Amino acid sequence: MKNYDVTVIGGGPGGLAAAISADNAGASTLLIEREARLGGVLKQCIHDGFGVIRFGEKLSGCEYATRLIRELETTGAELMLSTFVSKAEKQRDGYLLTLTSRGGMERVFTKALVLATGCRERTAKQVAIHGTRPAGVFTAGTAQAFLNVRGQMPGKRCVILGSGDIGLIMARRLTLEGARVLGVYEAKPDPSGLMRNISQCLWDFDIPLHLSKTVTTVHGDERVEAVTVAEVDEKMRPIAGTEEYIPCDTLILSVGLIPENELAESLGVPLDKKTKGPFCDQSYMTLVDGVFSCGNTLHVSDLADYVSESGDAAGRRAASYARRERSLLPVNISRDFSYVVPQYLDPEADLSETVFFFRTAAERKKTKLRILLDGVEIKQKQYNGLRPPEMERIPFDLSGAGLTKDSKLELLMEEVRS
Amino acid sequence: MSVAKKQRKLRKIFGGAMELRPEKGRMHLVGEAKSWDDAVQAGLICAKKGSDIHVVSDVTVKGLEIPPMRVPELRDNALEGLRPDVMIIGAGVTGCAIARELSRLKLNVLLTDKEYDVATHASSRNDGMVHPGIDILPGLLKKKLNTRGNRMYTRLCRELNVPFDRCGQYLCFRQKSVLPLLYLTKPYWLLSGAGSTEVLTKKALKKRETDVSDEAACALYFKSAGSVCPYGLTVALAENAVENGVRLSLDTAVLNMAVEKGEIRSVNTNRGTVYPGLVINAAGVFAEDVAKMAQDRFFSIHPRRGTNAILDKKARRHIVSIYSLMGTQSKSAHTKGGGVVGTVDGNVLVGPDAVETPEKENFATDAESILKTFEKQRHAAPWLTQGDIITYFTGIRAATYEEDFIVEKGRAVRNIIHAAGIQSPGLTAAPAVGEMVAGMVRDYFPKAEKNPSFDPNRKPIVRMAELSFEERAKYIEQNPDYGEIVCRCEEISRGEIIDALRRPVPCSTVDGVKRRCRPGMGRCQGGFCSPLVVKIISETLGIPESEVRKGSEGSRLLMGEKGAHK
Amino acid sequence: MTKELICITCPNSCRISAELGENGTVSVSGNLCPRGEIFASNELTCPKRSLTTTVRTVFGDMPVLPVRTAGEIPKEMIMDAMAVLSGLVIRERVKCGDVVVRSILDTGCDVIATLDL
Repeated sequence: MKNYDVTVIGGGPGGLAAAISADNAGASTLLIEREARLGGVLKQCIHDGFGVIRFGEKLSGCEYATRLIRELETTGAELMLSTFVSKAEKQRDGYLLTLTSRGGMERVFTKALVLATGCRERTAKQVAIHGTRPAGVFTAGTAQAFLNVRGQMPGKRCVILGSGDIGLIMARRLTLEGARVLGVYEAKPDPSGLMRNISQCLWDFDIPLHLSKTVTTVHGDERVEAVTVAEVDEKMRPIAGTEEYIPCDTLILSVGLIPENELAESLGVPLDKKTKGPFCDQSYMTLVDGVFSCGNTLHVSDLADYVSESGDAAGRRAASYARRERSLLPVNISRDFSYVVPQYLDPEADLSETVFFFRTAAERKKTKLRILLDGVEIKQKQYNGLRPPEMERIPFDLSGAGLTKDSKLELLMEEVRS
Repeated sequence: MSVAKKQRKLRKIFGGAMELRPEKGRMHLVGEAKSWDDAVQAGLICAKKGSDIHVVSDVTVKGLEIPPMRVPELRDNALEGLRPDVMIIGAGVTGCAIARELSRLKLNVLLTDKEYDVATHASSRNDGMVHPGIDILPGLLKKKLNTRGNRMYTRLCRELNVPFDRCGQYLCFRQKSVLPLLYLTKPYWLLSGAGSTEVLTKKALKKRETDVSDEAACALYFKSAGSVCPYGLTVALAENAVENGVRLSLDTAVLNMAVEKGEIRSVNTNRGTVYPGLVINAAGVFAEDVAKMAQDRFFSIHPRRGTNAILDKKARRHIVSIYSLMGTQSKSAHTKGGGVVGTVDGNVLVGPDAVETPEKENFATDAESILKTFEKQRHAAPWLTQGDIITYFTGIRAATYEEDFIVEKGRAVRNIIHAAGIQSPGLTAAPAVGEMVAGMVRDYFPKAEKNPSFDPNRKPIVRMAELSFEERAKYIEQNPDYGEIVCRCEEISRGEIIDALRRPVPCSTVDGVKRRCRPGMGRCQGGFCSPLVVKIISETLGIPESEVRKGSEGSRLLMGEKGAHK
Repeated sequence: MTKELICITCPNSCRISAELGENGTVSVSGNLCPRGEIFASNELTCPKRSLTTTVRTVFGDMPVLPVRTAGEIPKEMIMDAMAVLSGLVIRERVKCGDVVVRSILDTGCDVIATLDL
């Protein structure tokens, strides 16, 4: 049976970065990808806007993946493609993985595990859309795979529900390919995607964006014939009497992503209800020793660059993983936050490259973010505005701060009056 | 209630809008109702539960146009001039069970369905419960058939290699005081056919079903209840029937019949005219329509909708078998009560409700059904959350006003057998209905010999994820496709999907594949695997990806290659 | 006339107010970096976009190849460029970064593959 220091599961922007950094840190490394090609969802992200932070260039998702793949090729990391992890079991000094591939069944042993399994899309039924179940209802990512990987048109007259980035990108993509996008509907009062995507994907093509409106019902027995949209109240409930019947042949949903953590759960990794990813410390180690998590598995990011950044760190830390007792310090946040990652700090581990990722719970104007240690401010940062769809990042060298397991660390937001 | 009394009651409630006319062998209800609910209520007033004098309703509803039966657009002559001994109309679980029983005989059997696959209506749209028959009045035909059918399940599912879990069912009660009474009912259940029972205190119940509601003070456990995958069973019955010589013709709708002197001469379909010796009406919600074409209409079907929600496999840890709490029944009089069912595939089903509807093929769901079902079932299962829902579906029950099954030879026509009005517990009863109808068929073909090559056993699609490491390795060695995982949620391999496309009952659609081996049944609902499944169907069957359908003929998933529209 | 723009250069999505002066000069505010100024001034005079799409191939394992313009082309030429690219079929294996169309529509801007075929 083969034996590795680090095994990375998932070959997208997080897993590739993790495998590269684990190998660079001197660990014997295995990367397992269930598809035939590396890249994960980036393979179907033909649009640009990737890599501005990591590579200082505006790349397409495919190019971004290619750069990481080229880099991986220069390392000694082993690669298993078209390989599925059927089972992961905890053993005394590591993890036993059962792998399924065309080559047969195989077991490998690894000291540390990096979960980079990405996320899946929320479906129509998970956002309580009712009516019939005809062909022509797609999640945005599935529509994107059909169009960008298989070269097949998912529809010609489309309604898009949800203003998440993939939905916006698909609105432009379908329009470029000759489909008509009748409108993008968003149940929330604010758009979910990045403003630049609202601008370049919708405004550029005169695609209307309808806020505080949702799709309630799908019509059509065989193929989608129409959808009913309705205004929603502040609790997102459809308002009777505001229904509108919109003939179309396709409904595309961009209504949220859910981190894929079934494997993590099978190992008993506790998940944060807010992020739907594992709780972790600044090394991206989950609450189960030796199991690391990164990228969209940990929490849904807006940018692949951030996904890879956490992959870098998770891979590097996994490489130097040695079993010891951890006494974790919780990172306390006020109600103004939707969440923060990491949720814990390990005072015994390296704190010099701590990075906090957070989202605000509500849209805010000028805001001061303060980090308090035992009631004393140790860092602050000012934001011109904060929006829930936009993830914020604060790198912070906490190594000299004198953290102990009994410290109290708090993140607060304060309004700034001008 | 006498006819005169019923007529008075009708007049009292609906004025003169509807009128009951006792005719030879039937109760004819005519007139115009204000609403569909009125029309159904009138039918129920005129009916006597379990009676073989049925209400035949011609009541119309003002402003309501009931959509006609959906018929495939396909027109060909595939069946033209066929002279089968027996033609079965409807390939639901009932029709398929009949077909399999008839394949034991040397008969030429044609099984038809208007849909693209078997089990597309009620047989794939129910909760898969194999009932003990608790709430059916003794004396009804369906009671007898349920009891017999239930007993047949263990062997049937073993022969057909269909997963079946005789997990039992807990009927929970809120009052501790009923506990001693439950002991007293035990002989009754035994006698009535529901089988052996156990009385459980709250503590004992909690030991077996840890997460059942604290509202449950005690429970009665029916050992004979079970859980089966209803479409899995139907597909298996059809496959076994076909392997034993039955001819299955899908996309085949009966359009009309030529009837002369009380005998069906021919049956006209969209795929040619067939001249069957005997017709079996197993047409579900359309059984009345078929009876009418055969000029043997002596009952009416009033469709009743029921919606179920399917929960993520993560919710399965909350439940071992099946349970419901008495006294939380919905206000609707005809609900089976519904409950929470742990399925053989590892999910949880919640539902169903029961709502009268004039539409026989409107499978749309609505938010209210789900909301009400959850509200009700949460009394029994407080752990239910809508956040666990992965999908939901609606099925339509084919109820008669007498609320009993009709399994009998034609009344005005010699060569037809009706298996009609088969609603819940139709899944449980199906094997018994098959047996009963086969018995009647023997009357028509007394000389029919046994089919010497009949094999009751069916080879299933092997589910790789359920095999041991070594067994799985062996399969992959023989066929590497078994090692290529396509559906990550359910861990289904490419090999299993190709197997599904090459079964005795043809399947060429994404939903057909899904019903046979589950890709897309998981929590992502095909988000990841549907492009792959489409590709495999395209490659295996040699059709362009853009022609791969979700289900019926108008349900293509894609709209052609990109750029092709320009 | 002042125009409110969202800068699409980077994920910051700066909200920019830009005004075209009478002598053709552009005054810009709200941008966090100089790239915003360039974006805004282009947007008022000659808006440009990069185009990302796919082109068909003859290969079954990858029926379409992702491509993009190596730089930006005038926004109004986007649909014309799409028409050119939808007529193209790639018959040879190419690498990420290889040019598949030279100077599309004489813009001086190449179209390059963004994935290994």
